Amino acid sequence: MPATENFRDGLLAAVPTLRAFAVSLAKNTDRADDLVQETLVKAWDKQDSFQPGTNLKAWLFTILRNEFYSQMRKRRREVEDSDGSITARLSVHPSQDGSSDLTDFRKALALLPEDQREAIILIGASGFSYEEAAEICGCAVGTIKSRVSRARARLQEILSVDGQSDFGPDAISTQVTNSALVA
Amino acid sequence: MTKMYRNTGRDDAGEKTGMIYQKIEKERNPGRNSNSDPLGPNSEIGRKLRQYYDELVSEEIPPRFNQLLKELERKEKPGTAQED
Repeated sequence: MPATENFRDGLLAAVPTLRAFAVSLAKNTDRADDLVQETLVKAWDKQDSFQPGTNLKAWLFTILRNEFYSQMRKRRREVEDSDGSITARLSVHPSQDGSSDLTDFRKALALLPEDQREAIILIGASGFSYEEAAEICGCAVGTIKSRVSRARARLQEILSVDGQSDFGPDAISTQVTNSALVA
Repeated sequence: MTKMYRNTGRDDAGEKTGMIYQKIEKERNPGRNSNSDPLGPNSEIGRKLRQYYDELVSEEIPPRFNQLLKELERKEKPGTAQED
């Protein structure tokens, strides 16, 4: 049936943006690719529940997002049972190439809580309306709006602070080192 | 309202195509839905956000996804016995 072919093409066409969303959520390319793979398999299995003519992209984003959070809950349970080595591994940021301008932005984005990060990505980058984003995240439109505005404020804060001075442990450790040398 | 499509004396069909194109373009331009949008073109954060995302979108897609979909299609969906 040609419908399956269309469906497959639709999925394939959505892969780049699904991947971008997955990387934004997982902060790790390998995990993101696993998420996309899982999303495609799930979407394929339940393609009957997709209503042709409705927003395929939003439907796929919803599946991916659910998959991300269920994996995260699973991992959290695993971490509680272990020494935290999984957490340490997960927090490693992928070393992507790209402009240094974006490196700071990427770091800032990674500092946001998940709910704010996904909201600002869906609205500001993936091209969804507030209504669509609310549906994808299973929350109220007002919640999305406030998450986006908090995310934006936080990013602005992080990026401007970062631009003015080299913050972080360096300033303090320099002082400590200096005083240690003096003493 | 910005006018993205200018009627240059084309026929109705052309105008319709232009309108559809305009709609598609609007959908393709995230964060540019309204002038008051805090993540719109005048926002530094909004601009970086799109730059960051566009870079990810334009990355080469690992071949595994295409292979996976072909495989899924070949296997056929379980439970679709209704074919006439």
